[in-house]
Amino acid sequence: MPKTAEALERCRSFLNESCRPDGGERGECRTTTVNIGSISTADGSALVKLGNTAVICGVKAEFAVPPTDAPDEGYVVPNVDLPPLCSSRFRSQVASQFIADVIENSQIIQKEDLCISSGKLAWVLYCDLICLDYDGNILDACTFALLAALKNIHLPEVSINEETALAEVNLKKKSFLNIRTHPVATSFAVFDDTLLIVDPTGEEEHLATGTLTVVMGEEGRLSCLHKPGGSGLTGAKLQDCMSRAVTRHKEVKTLMDEVIKSMKHK
Amino acid sequence: MAGLELLSDQGYRVDGRRAGELRKIQARMGVFAQADGSAYIEQGNTKALAVVYGPHEIRGSRSRALPDRALVNCQYSSATFSTGERKRRPHGDRKSCEMGLQLRQTFEAAILTQLHPRSQIDIYVQVLQADGGTYAACVNAATLAVLDAGIPMRDFVCACSAGFVDGTALADLSHVEEAAGGPQLALALLPASGQIALLEMDARLHEDHLEWVLEAAAQAARDVHTLLDRVVRQHVHEASILLGD
Repeated sequence: MPKTAEALERCRSFLNESCRPDGGERGECRTTTVNIGSISTADGSALVKLGNTAVICGVKAEFAVPPTDAPDEGYVVPNVDLPPLCSSRFRSQVASQFIADVIENSQIIQKEDLCISSGKLAWVLYCDLICLDYDGNILDACTFALLAALKNIHLPEVSINEETALAEVNLKKKSFLNIRTHPVATSFAVFDDTLLIVDPTGEEEHLATGTLTVVMGEEGRLSCLHKPGGSGLTGAKLQDCMSRAVTRHKEVKTLMDEVIKSMKHK
Repeated sequence: MAGLELLSDQGYRVDGRRAGELRKIQARMGVFAQADGSAYIEQGNTKALAVVYGPHEIRGSRSRALPDRALVNCQYSSATFSTGERKRRPHGDRKSCEMGLQLRQTFEAAILTQLHPRSQIDIYVQVLQADGGTYAACVNAATLAVLDAGIPMRDFVCACSAGFVDGTALADLSHVEEAAGGPQLALALLPASGQIALLEMDARLHEDHLEWVLEAAAQAARDVHTLLDRVVRQHVHEASILLGD
C-alpha cells in the first residue's frame, strides 16, 4: 500500500473527529476471537483473530539436556513466522525477540517447572507462531496466542528410571502447566506526536509516525515497554497508555477464562 | 504382518471407513481479508490453508516475465507443529520445494495463464495439521482459493491419494496408512474433461493393479469435485445475499 498524501490526510481527518477510518472508536480495540486446542498434533495450540489479523500458535514439548549454567531449568524457544502468505509486504523478525523478552521478563511459567531431572533432562517448549493474515498489531495477537496455547498445553508425567537411567513417559497422566502471570500486550500507534490510537490496523500502522507496545500483567504490574524510535511521547500520554493497557488486560483475561471454562465443560 | 491391520476381513479400514470412502471434508472460501483469494480445507484431520495473491506485476527481476502468459509461483509450507514429531525447517527444505514444484505444475495446467501475460500469480499453501493426503488437501484448498480470487481456470482441480493393500485399492489415505509403506498414488484431476493434471507414484506396483488404483483415485477425486462445487455455490449464494441481490 503506497503511502499517498490522500491516505494520510484522510486518516488525519478521521482522527481529528475522534474516530477511525474503519469506523471504530479511538480508544477501542477490534473484535478479538480466540480458539484453543484445534491442532491435535501440537501439544498446545491457539488461534487468535484481532479484527482481520490472524495468528496461530503451536507449542511442542520435547526433551533436552538443561543448559550447564542453569541445570534446574527447562527453557522456552519462541519463533514468530511472517510467511509471504500473510501479507504482500516484507516484514522483519523483530517480533521473535519481543516474544522471547515477554516470556523471560513476565515469567509466565517458572522455568524450574520444566525441569525433570536436574542437569540431565528438562522440557523445552518450542512455540511456533505463524501469522496467517496480517492487518496490523501483530505483537498483541502473538502474545495472546502464545498465552492461550501455553494454557492449553498438556505435559505427560515423566520419571527417570533409576536402573536404566532412561526417561519413562506416562502418557495417561497429563497435567497443565502452571501459568503464573497472564501478560497482555496492548499496542498503540502515534500520529504527529499528539494523536494516539489503540490497536492499529495495517493501514494505520503504515501511516503512523511511531508505535508503542505495553505489556501488562496482573494488578497493574508492567512487564515490558517497547517503543522502537518514532515520534516522541509526553509523560502524560504514556500514563494514558498504561491505564488503557490495564483495562485491556482485564478484557483479555475475561475472554480467555470464558473460553477455557467452555472447553472444560465439553 | 503383525500389528495394525490396514484392511479387516469385513473390508473396514483402521478408522472404520470402507475401501473407496473419503474422509469428511469441510471447506470455506474467503477466510482472509488481506489476500485476493483464500480458502481453508479440512480432510479428516489434515488441515490446510491456501492463499492467492494476483495476478500482479512480477516481483524482482522483470526478465522472468513471460511475454504470452502469467507466471505461477507456488510455495508450500508445513507448520513445525503439524506432524507428530516437530519439523525443523518449515520452508526451504527439499520436500517443501518439491511440493511447491508439483503444485506449480498442477496449476499451470489448469489456470488460463494466457489471459494475464507478463504478470505473476502467487499461491501459498500452509499445512497446519498433517494426517496423510497433504498434497491432495493442498491442491483442493488452492483450487478454492484461486476461484475465490476470481482467476479464470479451465476446470476445478481435484486431488486425492490412493493406495493398494491386500488386493484392494484404498482411496484417501490417512497418515497411518501412508506410513505402512505400501504403494501410494497422488492424482490431480480436471473432472469435467477427465484429464489428469498430475500423477505421482514412487513405489512398486504391478501394472495390472495400476488400473484399479487409478480408478479408485479418480472416483475419489470426482467425489471431492461434487463437494467443492457445493462449497463454491454456497459461498456465492452467501456473497450475493450480502450484496442484497
